[in-house]
Amino acid sequence: MIGDDIEIVVLDIRGEQVRIGIRAPKDVPILRQEIYAQVQQQNVEATETRPEDVPE
Amino acid sequence: MTIETPRFGTIEFEEEDVLRFPEGLLGFEECKRYVVLRHGEESPFFWLQSLERAEIAFLVADPASFQPEYAPEMPPGVAQLLRLTEETPRLVYAILSIPPGKPELMTANLAGPIVVNVAERLACQVVVEDDRWSVKHPIFEEVGGTDQNASTAA
Repeated sequence: MIGDDIEIVVLDIRGEQVRIGIRAPKDVPILRQEIYAQVQQQNVEATETRPEDVPE
Repeated sequence: MTIETPRFGTIEFEEEDVLRFPEGLLGFEECKRYVVLRHGEESPFFWLQSLERAEIAFLVADPASFQPEYAPEMPPGVAQLLRLTEETPRLVYAILSIPPGKPELMTANLAGPIVVNVAERLACQVVVEDDRWSVKHPIFEEVGGTDQNASTAA
């Protein structure tokens, strides 16, 4: 359990692979960390955009 | 008020022009205040110019202008943060990236759109978990395809 209402559950175990699920109330956002990291990285890249390269 | 920026020189703005991002943008959490500048008089492009860090500006556009079927689901919590109700007029911007000198490679970040409560001047970046929308969605892919068809037809 994480706090009162978020639960980590093991869905399946096959050999060395474990599938894990998250059970949480509807209003709790569950996002994969790598998507956050991708958006963050893209924000950094976006700041390199130059006004002279913008199409008319 | 004025701010000196490396891209746009001196910008004049009023306090009511300021767009507030209570949580900043991912990776730029310290930048919470921006002004929106139109790129050109008829241009579909805008710049989000940071007021805290003058060197930070993001090129943005309405994703509906190049991806009409784009309607990302709002993650829970966004409505509360932006004080949005069903009727609140809102804007969605996608942050665009152009590799220096290569405008044809422009991409839009459709996995991290910016949602704006227009009336309250409140905004946030949301993360969309949908395999159709990537952080590097090519803008000119379909335009290029059309051109190719046109030349084949000719």
